[in-house]
Amino acid sequence: MIQDATPKQRKKNSKPAEIIQPRVGLRLPKPVRRLQRQAPLLALQGVTELSSRLKQVTGRDVIDLNRVMNFVQFLYKQRELARRGADYAVDDFGFDPQWTESFLDVFMVLYHDYWRVETTGVENVPANGRALLVANHAGVLPWDGTMIKTAVFAEHPHPRHVRALVAGLFLGMPVLSWFLRRTGQTVGHPDDTRRLLERDELVLVFPEGVKGTGKNFKDRYRLRRFGRGGFVATAIRSRAPIIPVSVVGSEEIYPMVADVAPLARFFGLPYFPVTPFWPWFGPLGMIPLPSKWRIQFHAPIHVEDNPPDAAEDQNLVMALADEVRDTIQQGIYDNLKLRRGVFL
Amino acid sequence: MTSLRPNRVLVTGVSNPLGAEVARRLAPHVPYLFGCDVHDPISALEEMDFVHADVRHAAIGKLVRQLQIDTVVHLAVMVDSPHDQRSIHETDVIGTMNVLVGCSGPSSRVRKLVVKSSQAIYGAEPTDPSFVSEDMTGAERTGSSVTRDLLEMEQLITEFALREESCRVSVLRLGFRVSEDTTLARYLSLPIVPTFAGFDPRLQLLHEDDAAEVIVRAVLGDHPGVFNVAAHGVVLLSQAIAIMGGKAAPILPPYGFWIARMALRALTRVDVQSHLADLIAYGSVMDCSRLESAFGWKPAHSSRAVMDSLARGKQLEVIEAPSPPQEYELQVYLQRRRREARNGHRKPPVLEAHR
Repeated sequence: MIQDATPKQRKKNSKPAEIIQPRVGLRLPKPVRRLQRQAPLLALQGVTELSSRLKQVTGRDVIDLNRVMNFVQFLYKQRELARRGADYAVDDFGFDPQWTESFLDVFMVLYHDYWRVETTGVENVPANGRALLVANHAGVLPWDGTMIKTAVFAEHPHPRHVRALVAGLFLGMPVLSWFLRRTGQTVGHPDDTRRLLERDELVLVFPEGVKGTGKNFKDRYRLRRFGRGGFVATAIRSRAPIIPVSVVGSEEIYPMVADVAPLARFFGLPYFPVTPFWPWFGPLGMIPLPSKWRIQFHAPIHVEDNPPDAAEDQNLVMALADEVRDTIQQGIYDNLKLRRGVFL
Repeated sequence: MTSLRPNRVLVTGVSNPLGAEVARRLAPHVPYLFGCDVHDPISALEEMDFVHADVRHAAIGKLVRQLQIDTVVHLAVMVDSPHDQRSIHETDVIGTMNVLVGCSGPSSRVRKLVVKSSQAIYGAEPTDPSFVSEDMTGAERTGSSVTRDLLEMEQLITEFALREESCRVSVLRLGFRVSEDTTLARYLSLPIVPTFAGFDPRLQLLHEDDAAEVIVRAVLGDHPGVFNVAAHGVVLLSQAIAIMGGKAAPILPPYGFWIARMALRALTRVDVQSHLADLIAYGSVMDCSRLESAFGWKPAHSSRAVMDSLARGKQLEVIEAPSPPQEYELQVYLQRRRREARNGHRKPPVLEAHR
């Protein structure tokens, strides 16, 4: 390695710059290249013009220019991220915070405009230090997880990333495994929970698991069995408070009326849902319905006040798991009352 | 118990690059050093007595007894090799059994056994915890033949350690290494790297220097038990490919890995074994906290640094302190001659040829 101490030495050792040969191959004619360069700007001008015309005709804001600018910003952010090349670092779980934050823009649109999520009690989430968020799980696809993550990031005075635990099954699926890991999710294994809590992270678990997302529409507000209370034992061992979270609205995004078990077995899935739109309308059936959502973060249950060996006490663990479950169930009923209608 | 300071040391598999490096580092510390392998040693070492011996043959046990060995460093364990499944099994399981036969019994003088194992013993599955620790091997993890062989081998070693209480056994599960000749390195160095569509796993690697260092430390110190050895930090597969200057092409089908492996071999002539196919789909990361607490040492290179050093090695050899221009020219000239000699273009440089 060349180590130059003084400017003089540097000058002495410097070599003339290498002449880079122009790229060989097909080169588009100059006007086309100019147009290519200016295309984004021209498109934006066109949209602005269209918006003002429409305003003249209808007298209302038909195209929200702020929204358009947000979208453009998102595209530019993605381009910046692509330019990082290999110069970025992920944590040991494969979490890339910068990349995740760029995607939060998309989830923010869903959060504010599509599902119009109303979040209460976000002050119960600690600004720093560890905590275990425990939530109910419904809807065929885990959109509730993304909305809880978005809620904490968007509404909390001290934005934090929530690390959700997902079934190992999803980490074996093509695109999902890559996306989930990169946005901070990890496999739902007690060892992973412990490690994340020891790093003072916010960890989100769904004790209902796939039994929750795969529940029938008629049982939509009823919680399933909360595993074997393993999450309580882990929280006690890791000295983390439990924050119960009730989510209302995720139950209606895919009204699952039947489960075709043989097909599920064929595709290696935990369930094969049948909704009024899926699989009849193909990929269109995968669009979630715009129900009205409410998320409530409850007051923390301080399980860490128990001595660490209380984690072995199955009686206490199950009692605490029941307490968490009851809090969430009660929260669901309360929020259902506060909601005026399913889609309002 | 007698002194644990190694006196007469036998290194098996001394002719592979790691074995040669371990022998070189051990030589100043031990009075008598022996090495054995099937092939000729790759570098001459004055302090070492080399024996042509095959661990697959029972003669290795006699060798251990005849030479009155007190420390065996068993590195003749094949994980990543172009050989077929059968000969890998023969070397790993039968070879280890033969070595253990030499070490066991009341007449044995062997007081310490250091065995090289591999991260491949864990396999790689999506349901695995993000960090596997030493006790997370299971009978159900029988994904690839190498994993099965390693499990069987470690089973033999565990039984041996229980039976022979006078012998201290260290098993080092080394992380995946990317020196020039490993399959993983050849795969990552491809200009266009076919990857599994929709997968971007975490990779944890180990630098060759650190691998040799940990084996030497295990031989000279007293650390019985099983240890995971790998660099800290992870790199994503796509990141590793970008560091190497290649392009990732997510074209391999994510289901039915044997089809993907065949496609890969046809496309790139790199034969990715099934445990490596699992690795580049799901990734596997080890928890090395036991190593750090027991050895009081951790690998000097992070996974990222390992990848960087591989990428640098791919470009050019680094020229040390080339201050005067003539010396620089000379270095470049010699380097070119060396490279050409290695690639078989010209004869190696002869000193008197330079006028």
